[in-house]
Amino acid sequence: MTAIQHKIVSDLWEGRGRTLIVVLAVAVGIAGFTAVLSAYSILTRELNNGYLSTNPPSATFYTNRVDDGIIDAVVASGSVASAEARRVVRARIKTGPMEWRPLSLFVIKDFTNIRVHKIQPEQGAWPPQSREMLIERNALQVAHAKIGETATIKIAGQQEQNLRIAGSAHDLGLAQARMENIVYGYVMLDTLGRLGQEPYFDELSVVVKGNRFDEKHIRAVAAQVKALLEARGYPVRRVDLPPPGKHPHADIMGLLLLSMSAFGFAILLLSGIVVINLVTALMAAQVRQIGMMRAIGATRWQVAAIYFGEVSLLGVDAVLIALPGGIAGGRALCRYLAVLLNFDMTSFVLPTWVYLLVLAAGIMVPLAAAALPIIKGTSITVWQAMADYGVGGESFGTSRLEQVLVALGGTFRPLLMVVRNTLRRRRRFVLTVVTLAASGVVFISALNIRASLIRTLDRSFATKQYDLWVTFNGLYPIDELQRATRGIHGIIRTEGWIVTEASFAAQGEESESPSLSGHAPSEGRSDGLFTVIALPPRTNLLRMEILAGRALQADDTNAIIVNSSLAARRPTLMIGDTINLRIGPAVLPWRVVGIAREPFSTPTAYVSQRRSEDLGRRDGMANSLRIALDRPDAATLKAAKIALDRNFEHDQLPAVGSSTKAETRYGFDQHMLMIYVFLLITSALISVVGGLGLMTSTMLNVMERRREIGILRAIGATPLMISLTVIAESVVTGLVSWGAAALVAWPVSKAVGNWLVSAMFQTSLDFHFEPIGLGVWLAVSAAIAIVASVLPAVRASRVTVREALART
Amino acid sequence: MISLRRLTKAYETPAGCFRALQSVDLEIGAGDFVAIIGKSGSGKSTLLNMVGGIDRPSSGAVSVGNTAISNLSESALARWRGRTVGFVFQFFQLLPTLTAEENVMLPMDFCGTLPTRARPKRAQVLLDRFGVLAQAHKLPSALSGGEQQRVAIARALANDPPIILADEPTGNLDSYTSDTIFRLFGELAAGGKTVVVVTHERELPVSIDRTVELADGVVMESEE
Repeated sequence: MTAIQHKIVSDLWEGRGRTLIVVLAVAVGIAGFTAVLSAYSILTRELNNGYLSTNPPSATFYTNRVDDGIIDAVVASGSVASAEARRVVRARIKTGPMEWRPLSLFVIKDFTNIRVHKIQPEQGAWPPQSREMLIERNALQVAHAKIGETATIKIAGQQEQNLRIAGSAHDLGLAQARMENIVYGYVMLDTLGRLGQEPYFDELSVVVKGNRFDEKHIRAVAAQVKALLEARGYPVRRVDLPPPGKHPHADIMGLLLLSMSAFGFAILLLSGIVVINLVTALMAAQVRQIGMMRAIGATRWQVAAIYFGEVSLLGVDAVLIALPGGIAGGRALCRYLAVLLNFDMTSFVLPTWVYLLVLAAGIMVPLAAAALPIIKGTSITVWQAMADYGVGGESFGTSRLEQVLVALGGTFRPLLMVVRNTLRRRRRFVLTVVTLAASGVVFISALNIRASLIRTLDRSFATKQYDLWVTFNGLYPIDELQRATRGIHGIIRTEGWIVTEASFAAQGEESESPSLSGHAPSEGRSDGLFTVIALPPRTNLLRMEILAGRALQADDTNAIIVNSSLAARRPTLMIGDTINLRIGPAVLPWRVVGIAREPFSTPTAYVSQRRSEDLGRRDGMANSLRIALDRPDAATLKAAKIALDRNFEHDQLPAVGSSTKAETRYGFDQHMLMIYVFLLITSALISVVGGLGLMTSTMLNVMERRREIGILRAIGATPLMISLTVIAESVVTGLVSWGAAALVAWPVSKAVGNWLVSAMFQTSLDFHFEPIGLGVWLAVSAAIAIVASVLPAVRASRVTVREALART
Repeated sequence: MISLRRLTKAYETPAGCFRALQSVDLEIGAGDFVAIIGKSGSGKSTLLNMVGGIDRPSSGAVSVGNTAISNLSESALARWRGRTVGFVFQFFQLLPTLTAEENVMLPMDFCGTLPTRARPKRAQVLLDRFGVLAQAHKLPSALSGGEQQRVAIARALANDPPIILADEPTGNLDSYTSDTIFRLFGELAAGGKTVVVVTHERELPVSIDRTVELADGVVMESEE
């Protein structure tokens, strides 16, 4: 080992206590960064690989009936690699006495040869036999069912039927059943017939030949297939073009992980602050050594290289310590998100670039943080260095702030000393405060964002004046629907609504010519499907919050109100514009009269039922009944649902599903919880970094003031008094950081909340400041300050007068 | 007043065991003004540290008044020091963040020797006595060396301790200021305080009761 290498190691070893703390602080930052970065790299790979292994459809065509002949013809056309018929039947599954949940029943032709949108056997029998059903593995819990049990199924307009649950399947292409509160079932065609349905398929899913990720190519093939279907007498009422090769939730997951990565990198940057404090103190303590090295022939850069070497070693140590924890954290995050997204992890192997990036960040961030103190420290002349009095030679009272503090005075000198000492190393103090305040800001932001999300949802749900809704398999006279609700305890108001789907029609597009539709907007063709709701002229069950324009009026005919989600899809949309919408086979013009605020809502438009004839409906008909209760508690809701179910059954009004506001709200709350937990974890990690930073800072203060501690001991201060002085100094720093956090928490949490929510849900928040966050963080920051100062305080109390004074 | 019995202090150094004091016996009476002299490394400061309870002996005993200070715990020793001993150091050692007056009041705060309200008055009296009252509200960095040392002496007297220990108190001062400081110590001794001064100067501007010369940790000479 050369003398220089020996110096690098011995410098770090000499102050090993504080070196270890700084390494730990940097390691926490690197671990957080590694966790999110590794989760990002693994999940994006695994999710897309897993999704692609299901051979997801490039396009799905909805027609009247699909038979083997047309499938063969489509495949024979040469542009399609595989095609398969399927059907999805909406039904209900009994989950308890008189309790039903929505069931999406996928009808599959041949379970042993699924070519498109593959599902995998999970447990139990495979394939299901006649009168048997498989249930998606995550939906078993929603269905309150176990494999081997018999489930009661009801398709609208049919008698209840019993199906044996033969096993479970894994369907990666679907959203998590538990989050959606829906049951996914899989049956063969014969079973459909036994459920009273005519056994046929009405969907054709195809995977294109050639580049299956090229959206343009897919659109071209889809147009060809549509033409072929129509030419052969299979009218196409809708075409879905999902984003090619991408899991439906890949984008939102990527966005979430990228947001997490940004926070992870921020934690790493904050840990750099701890390095700045350490290196600044080290350079100050080594001024004479620097002067000596310069005097015996070292260039400035040779001296600087020694200290950069020390920081690099520190960074490498931090990376080595952080990697196992970071990787474990990344795996935990992967498992958590895999459960949410309903897919299985097949490999946790990290790509090499992750290791390289973590190593680079782990070394570069401390180096960048240390650059200024090292450059400044080594720029000193030999004369200045040799004349330096060391780290304790600073002069207090030269700045305005210090003069003000002195002028303020006080009656208890130890406390005066604490306050003034806190501000002696102002840069160190400010940097420490910044790190601690950052954790406070994220913590307070987490609480504020949670409160804001709750408030936003409360406000949004408050516009819906109904508590329960029932959907029917077609249009039924509103009078009949309402008659069935009479006499049911708790129901105070009902309205019949028409809920349907629409898409923006391209310019010049005419009726009877269905357009392509898909999730991804495409220039000049379609903007995807959205919901259109036809409301009674004077609805009492929806109090829209109009952002611009006006509400619907009783005499409106072609007026339409778009909600904020739909308006965001068409940013150029203005009040007064006329838009052409395709609703079913019809393309009709509508005049936009208002924009309604509906955060977290799907794109929706509202029209008056006065024009329902234009939608191909007859007056006084509805396919959805909205019901308001006088007391929407769980017991009343349950009783009302049971009674409604019985009455609709009796009146032969085939309900296909029902839901409550509480159930919908639960789904939203689950998504919001994810953001809240993520922010709390980030805050905890920054708190650890901040706490370690405060500990380093306090240790450096104690180290630099050993002589003063010795004097205090000499004039009568007991070890306990010395300890309390150190702890009090740390607490003052903690309190100042709390104040700084409190000052900026409002604007920062508003900005962070809006950024996260707009990135994930394309909406804004009703900001609410949660005052309790300030109180909680005050206690937390005081606790962090006390914990962080215990070790330095104990060390300070052990400083002997003789040792301290010998260091002049 | 001060009694040292077979006092030995040894330090472990990389070069081996270093005996700073070797079996020192010394008695100092109440109100004595004693100078401890000797070359650098002779053990002068170590001896002073032993008397003031700043360091503990390797063997032997130190008694001050009726207190065997070698047996006191760290906390008890600190309290004892605050009330019994006033220290004056070569580099003044004022707390840089406290004003002159606050520095003087600090020992009173630690030991609670006077009611809180009485402390500023006491500090002002002491600062006035040593001619630095005008500097009471200045920070140490704004004072000259001589002024700092006067404030340090005032601080040493804050709790009215019976013993004043000074370690090279004039080592950083010019000869005029040094003479002034020594005269102040002389006045304190005349007032009944026991004053022990470590110095390398053989010629002192005031008459002292006794000179103790140390060499290699051993008392060579003790002159009345």
